[in-house]
Amino acid sequence: MAMAFDFLTITNPQSSLEWMVFLTQKYFSMFVEGTLLTLYISIIGTFLGFALGYVIGVIQDLQVSKVDLLPKRVLVGICKLVASAYVELFRDTPMIVQAMIIYYGIRQVGVDITPVAAGILVTVLNTGAYMAETVRGGIGSIDLGQREGAWAMGMSPLATMLYVVLPQAFRNILPEMANTFLTNLKMTSVLNVIAVQELFMAAKTVGGNYYKYFESYLVIAVIYFVLCFLFNKVFLLVEKWIRGTDDYALAIEYLESE
Amino acid sequence: MEEAILGVRDLSKSFGNHEVLRKIDMEVFPKEIICIVGSSGSGKSTLLRCINRLERQTSGQVLFHGQEVRDVQSEINEYRSKVGMVFQSFNLFDHLTVLDNCMLCTRKVLHLAKDEAFGRAIEHLKQVGMAPFIHAKPSQLSGGQKQRVAIARALCMNPEVLLFDEPTSALDPEMVGEVLTVMRQLASTGLTMVVVTHEMAFARDVSTRTIFMDRGFVVEDAPPQELFQHPKSPRTREFLSRYLEG
Repeated sequence: MAMAFDFLTITNPQSSLEWMVFLTQKYFSMFVEGTLLTLYISIIGTFLGFALGYVIGVIQDLQVSKVDLLPKRVLVGICKLVASAYVELFRDTPMIVQAMIIYYGIRQVGVDITPVAAGILVTVLNTGAYMAETVRGGIGSIDLGQREGAWAMGMSPLATMLYVVLPQAFRNILPEMANTFLTNLKMTSVLNVIAVQELFMAAKTVGGNYYKYFESYLVIAVIYFVLCFLFNKVFLLVEKWIRGTDDYALAIEYLESE
Repeated sequence: MEEAILGVRDLSKSFGNHEVLRKIDMEVFPKEIICIVGSSGSGKSTLLRCINRLERQTSGQVLFHGQEVRDVQSEINEYRSKVGMVFQSFNLFDHLTVLDNCMLCTRKVLHLAKDEAFGRAIEHLKQVGMAPFIHAKPSQLSGGQKQRVAIARALCMNPEVLLFDEPTSALDPEMVGEVLTVMRQLASTGLTMVVVTHEMAFARDVSTRTIFMDRGFVVEDAPPQELFQHPKSPRTREFLSRYLEG
């Protein structure tokens, strides 16, 4: 891989740009591994976080009425309380602090959790809390008539949520989901505090070897930028694809001449 | 006498201190076409929504074949699958095509096989003249077309009675005509219908019984010839004169 860039090889870097190329070449595998780990944590963490967010968001939207039995009402009440406590806790504390508390907390009770696993856990929990609010808002944006249309045909409230409300909410919050992913991609950088060898950690290590912090962080800034830029484009395409076309074909086989 | 499909017993509904329905009694027999008329705020839509259990009554009962529809979600679901509803604002599922709108509940509620659900959907979409539009999304249709799809969607459930909540009130005059034509044709098939409407001509010509409501009361309940030509109550006369003059 590095061979391809041989003609660019710099042995005696002078300017910052030369230093950036030099460091990239010298620590190529470190930057690649950091990038892969950053992607790994942010992708897994974001998607599990989305799933958690959907569950919590739906729980927060649960409604009980006089139709329901007392045990169900109590159970729903407890679920909602737990859900809102969780959302508040994670939205009202910094992710870097959450990372420390979760990583050291878990190790302190004797579970030998790896930094990467803890990093994913923190990302999931953090994403879930923000996503829950997004989902709640997305559900709220769907006209009540959509639910009533389904209820009036005998669909249960849960099935209505799954087949009618969430698919529509999903479309509305897709841009926000893309946003969350990009935020996570960048926020994984704070996980260096629990010794996760992601991009930020790579830059810190590389910069320390030559005391070239400025150049080293510029390298990862470029990497973060390119990653986010590309993902942004991908999300735009996905959004467009999900929205579909404005055209539809008449089913001519059912055209009648009356 | 034949058994009533639907019964409403002593039904009252309040929103806070505001009494919307006051001790309503009514029955719906097979093949009846009942039109409920009255000025806005008279409680007719609320009555229909109480019948479908979208609103919970403050007191009284809703009966289905003489059995009370109790406050149990599964019973309510089962009951609703047999009592169709068409809304003023159509309430088609915006994310689904016309065909999928007509198949979602037959698949997920009645658990029909795919081809059977498809067959029903096409049959009823043909009935309302919307079969060529199966691939369209609701946002691509006119109001009248949406309402016709909504009617087909409700018919796919094979309801014993179909409730219409001001089905033409959100439509411009031209589209009102196309929806009323479909409803007239449905009425001729022997479908039991309860229609809350402001279309007096429809009530007069199509209904087998017209109910006039005012301030939460059923003021008059009579065959349309009687109600429109010889209204008993002064309030009914006043209301009708405003609609029928000229």
